[in-house]
Amino acid sequence: MNRQDARSVGELLLDADFSTRQVLMDVTGEDAPAMLRTWGEVVQSAVELWATLPPPVGGGASPIDGATMARLESMSRSMHRTQVRQGWPGDGPADERLLHVAETLTRTADLIGRRGGHIRPSDPEVRADLDAARMRIMHTLYVGAHSVGVAAREHVRDVELSTRGKSSRESRGVPRGQDAISRLAAFEQLAGAYVGNRFARAAQGEHVRGPYGTERLQQALIGWDIQAHRTLAATPTAANLLLASRTQAGIATAAGVILHAGARTGHVDTHAYQHRLAPTLDATQQAWTHVAGRWAEMTTPASRTDLDIVQSANELRAAVREISHDKTTWAGPEVMAGRVDLGEAAQHLQQALSSAVDVACVIRDVAAEDKNLTGPARAMSHRANADVDSAVDRGHRGEDVVWVTPGDVYANRTVAIPEPVRAGLVDATDTLVQTASNAMSAAACLDRVTQDRPPGSEQEPTAPRGRRHEGPTPMAQDVSRVARP
Amino acid sequence: MSNQTIDRDAWVTLAAVARLLRHAAVCAWAQAEAEGPRSHLHLLGLGIHTASCKAVAMLPADADLEGQPPAQDDVAHLLRSAEELTRGIPVVDGMAGISPLVVAICDLVRESTP
Repeated sequence: MNRQDARSVGELLLDADFSTRQVLMDVTGEDAPAMLRTWGEVVQSAVELWATLPPPVGGGASPIDGATMARLESMSRSMHRTQVRQGWPGDGPADERLLHVAETLTRTADLIGRRGGHIRPSDPEVRADLDAARMRIMHTLYVGAHSVGVAAREHVRDVELSTRGKSSRESRGVPRGQDAISRLAAFEQLAGAYVGNRFARAAQGEHVRGPYGTERLQQALIGWDIQAHRTLAATPTAANLLLASRTQAGIATAAGVILHAGARTGHVDTHAYQHRLAPTLDATQQAWTHVAGRWAEMTTPASRTDLDIVQSANELRAAVREISHDKTTWAGPEVMAGRVDLGEAAQHLQQALSSAVDVACVIRDVAAEDKNLTGPARAMSHRANADVDSAVDRGHRGEDVVWVTPGDVYANRTVAIPEPVRAGLVDATDTLVQTASNAMSAAACLDRVTQDRPPGSEQEPTAPRGRRHEGPTPMAQDVSRVARP
Repeated sequence: MSNQTIDRDAWVTLAAVARLLRHAAVCAWAQAEAEGPRSHLHLLGLGIHTASCKAVAMLPADADLEGQPPAQDDVAHLLRSAEELTRGIPVVDGMAGISPLVVAICDLVRESTP
């Protein structure tokens, strides 16, 4: 500890917070054992610091304040006992960064203990400062628990891969690591409830054991589909349509990468992947991206997105990353195959590609029929003129029309979308529905039920609901002519 | 502490974080589109965009989010700048949501930094 340290309580707390953030930004699986060894010390220091803060005069604060920290301490002790019993991570070096956090919290407690005798929590300003200090301590624990959890997850993934097919003794690090992940997730949830003010939801604080691997992917895809329909039915704003389209593009990207891994490792028919799936998946990905770009033009920086659809998109992204990513980029096919059953993942993706057609139809209906679509005047004027110029280039002569008034352009007011913009949207979403249908039909080969069925009994894919889907699905007959961007 | 008593500077800073994240998402997606439909940056852009949606959701309705986008187009650099800006935002009741946002940004920094 530095005897010359002249920092205030607030500065020390900020140091602890920023140190945990730095850990989170740099953490890897290799850090997990040292971080797990040191985490208990961080929690203990936070508990002691919490205890030095003067209690509110007259017991004004919620009793849950103290209870939360007591439960976090209890969870940390329990985790430590389990580590001792399991002999993992065992003796070894501490994590210097977390050690610094623990020392900083201890230093803060010392400072308050030595100089805090004059603190009068009856003063409103002092009470606010104390509340802020408690919040910062809990925030530091929240960020810290998340970073230790990230390290533990990365570590377990590494151990899983390196011990696949080996003895249970060699792979015992996996269940031990998963237990630590589960406990840290519960810890993070409880601390997060304090800083996020969501006591009701997380007061139980049980171990969190969410689905993992393909089960998580399946749930995330289903959850996304339901939420996308709900949000687009209730609030089909450009911001929500943008996120829906970008997420669907992300699903198509992930499907392409995961199915490629499946083809490379024998879980997906290579010929079907190369000649049917890959071209149609890429085409639908590009169509979703193009449509997303159109919706983006109609948003402003202040446009708000429904937080439920944001949450669903986040969970979907996390579920995909768990299977497909290795640090900053895609994992190799063998790595993905080592994590999950890629045949099972392909089944879930096949269902998602079917659902995507319906989402595309909903979006096309909004583009064609929603009279409330608006956009910023400058972007709408630019887009209308560009689309009209493009039509002229293709030989369609148009009249000179002012689609957005100069006054609206000058003030960049929100205006109803001009007719050429709507026409462009409808064109783009028509292409989207077609490419999504093509991908769905191509993906029918992934359906194990269909694959297992006797020859000649193949069924048509389920017809999606939508404005123009009374007739046959546009694809099925000719895959080769539809792979266009 | 209520929304009304939070320092105005905190809202201005959070608005700047939202602008940086929005621009970072646009840059990630532009690079993704240049790389093609299988670029991993499509999913990174999605993560950044959802973080920016969360930041905007925390802001008051009259927050000023207009302004020139930053000249910088390095996604990792933009994310680090956003994280640095969040350091000036108080972690208080009226800013409920800032902790998950900080964690989301730090996760994105890690994902974007080789």
